[in-house]
Amino acid sequence: MRKILKKPEVLAPAGTLEKLKTAIRYGADAVYIGGNMYGLRSRAGNFTYDEMREGVAFAKKHHAHVYVAANMVAHEGDVAGAGDFFRTLRDIGIRAVIVSDPALIEICAMEAPGLPIHLSTQASAANYETLNFWKNEGLERVVLAREVGMAEIKEIRENTDVEIEAFVHGAMCISYSGRCTLSNHMSSRDANRGGCSQSCRWKYGLFEMDEFGERTSLLGGEPEEAFSMSAVDMSMIRHIPDFVENGVDSLKIEGRMKSIHYVSTVSNVYRQVVDAYCEDPDHFEFKQEWEDELWKVAQRELATGFYYGTPDEKQQLFGARRKIPVYTFIGQVLDYDETTQIATIQQRNNFGIGDEVEFYGRGFTHVQQTVDALWDEEDEPIERAAHAMMTVKMKVDVPVKPFDMMRKRK
Amino acid sequence: MIELIATAESVDQAKALVDAGIHTLYIGEDTFGLRLPTSFSREDIQEITQYAHAQQKYVCVAVNAIMHNDRIKKVQDYLAFLENIGVDAITVGDPGVIHLLQKNQMTLPYIYDAQTLVTSANQINFWAKRGATGAVLARELTYEELTLIGEQATVPVEMLVYGATCIHQSKRPVVGNYFNFIENEKPEEKQLYLSEPKKPESHYPIYEDINGTHIFASNDINLMPFLDQLAESGLKRWKLDGLFTRGDQFVEIARLFVEAADMIDKGMWTAEKMEALNAQLVALHPTERGLDEGFFLKDPADVK
Repeated sequence: MRKILKKPEVLAPAGTLEKLKTAIRYGADAVYIGGNMYGLRSRAGNFTYDEMREGVAFAKKHHAHVYVAANMVAHEGDVAGAGDFFRTLRDIGIRAVIVSDPALIEICAMEAPGLPIHLSTQASAANYETLNFWKNEGLERVVLAREVGMAEIKEIRENTDVEIEAFVHGAMCISYSGRCTLSNHMSSRDANRGGCSQSCRWKYGLFEMDEFGERTSLLGGEPEEAFSMSAVDMSMIRHIPDFVENGVDSLKIEGRMKSIHYVSTVSNVYRQVVDAYCEDPDHFEFKQEWEDELWKVAQRELATGFYYGTPDEKQQLFGARRKIPVYTFIGQVLDYDETTQIATIQQRNNFGIGDEVEFYGRGFTHVQQTVDALWDEEDEPIERAAHAMMTVKMKVDVPVKPFDMMRKRK
Repeated sequence: MIELIATAESVDQAKALVDAGIHTLYIGEDTFGLRLPTSFSREDIQEITQYAHAQQKYVCVAVNAIMHNDRIKKVQDYLAFLENIGVDAITVGDPGVIHLLQKNQMTLPYIYDAQTLVTSANQINFWAKRGATGAVLARELTYEELTLIGEQATVPVEMLVYGATCIHQSKRPVVGNYFNFIENEKPEEKQLYLSEPKKPESHYPIYEDINGTHIFASNDINLMPFLDQLAESGLKRWKLDGLFTRGDQFVEIARLFVEAADMIDKGMWTAEKMEALNAQLVALHPTERGLDEGFFLKDPADVK
């Protein structure tokens, strides 16, 4: 029986230390985080050096890696202190940095030798000679542009041996990443330094104009549809075999701003599918429940981007939106007593008696339960777990385990 | 000495621009170059190069597209052609092309041009160490930043003083997708514009070509009023982009910049002269398009 030993890495986003630990617990082989400087998510949770140390120690224990994104496109003055920054990351045990600006690549290579560099998708690497260029520069890995198709990946793999990372899940730029300054011009915020205001998702007028500036609107549709460039999100969950067979080294999940609910769910599903395929590729069958699980944390429609052709209008958000059922993250299991069937839970959102809830856990376990008995920490019966982060006890008929998550449909 | 670079939309216009005193023509084929007023055939590129060289002028060819595998294969033959006909330089934005130049030991000089990404002297110097003979600056830079870059870059830098600024490139056909959604025919010949929801008066040009969809700033750049400042800061490679200013008007505007550069070089530039040339420029500029100084007067702290 064929078995794939060199599995691609499942790489998850981690905006905070808690998300880092969650992603790794839920199966991520590696996580990427932001430092306090040089990143592209100025508003995402970013890590202090101490938090990085704790994250790296946790990752080590679980044989996982931590990467730091430092993928801003620097202006004059922005790179001050970058040498110290990279040296500190290296000494903390960060496994690699994700960089797009050659100025930062050079500083990192010169001042923090031994710290591997991955080229960010911001650099829009889309052909094998570009990967060969960066390989010769000493980079360990290149994150491909999101415009690269699956057939192109195959050809890239055949023509370079630098590591390849490709996006498999999450929100996408409608532009070539890095080649969009809509925010700079429309909102005075630098898209390439963490200030993207998602101007592509706005609703625009579309018109032609004569030489006197007289306009004729070209908007149409019934009801009238504004012009927009909002991309649906990516999900490649049904196509993991293609990535594995084409030698992609790392499967990247987008979303450093996303919740712990998202990070745990998406990591869990991709872990399942990668393992299932690599275990027995010749008898692999896709299970609908994997995709169904991803819909529980989806914010937009899901599609395959450029992997199998140029995205048409169905991969943009036009018209009336289909309502995607929203699930709320309501708690995390701290403990479970099998004799009493009582779970101890840390509340994350209001829930109470009568709610239909779902527990999910590492290894893709699921338990459905109606809340029929609930107690507070003093073992006093309560109707609802109403206070943020309160510890509650709850009857669960089937065993659950610590770090299982609890969600309910809104 | 100030060097003026101008795009060309036809062999005739290219010749007229050379005759008007432009130092370097910027032309190319849209399979490999981004947002050019026209996609020239190889015969035309050769003819323009011969004409320019006969007048001791230069030709720079745009090879600055983001290349996918198909293009990186095709570009080798194009590079060989360009080297063979002796063009003076190419612009390059994709490191894959630089890899090919190195691998094939080509002598074709290249100017680094990754558009929005070229924002610091450190970055430019990285490419200079890898053979770049110049760099094209991003349009989202302020005067303060431009000056610092001019001082610290080890190769000459080039900046836009007149014309269109691209602010978005998507590989998706977003205009076609919209018309497909509303089930209307996409108008093929007309220039289309976008307006911002909160600024209905804005008019961002948008079009699709072989490289995807391109959106441009609402107004074109005009730095005529600040040319002396640029020269004093050592920023002396000025590009004129004729994407939205066609035909003779563009040649006439180029002539104004030739005159301005000449006077600045000779120390004869005055406020009155600037006002006069600027007034002519404004009159020649397409009436439906605005003009402004882009990010030039902004404080670097204004855009973060």
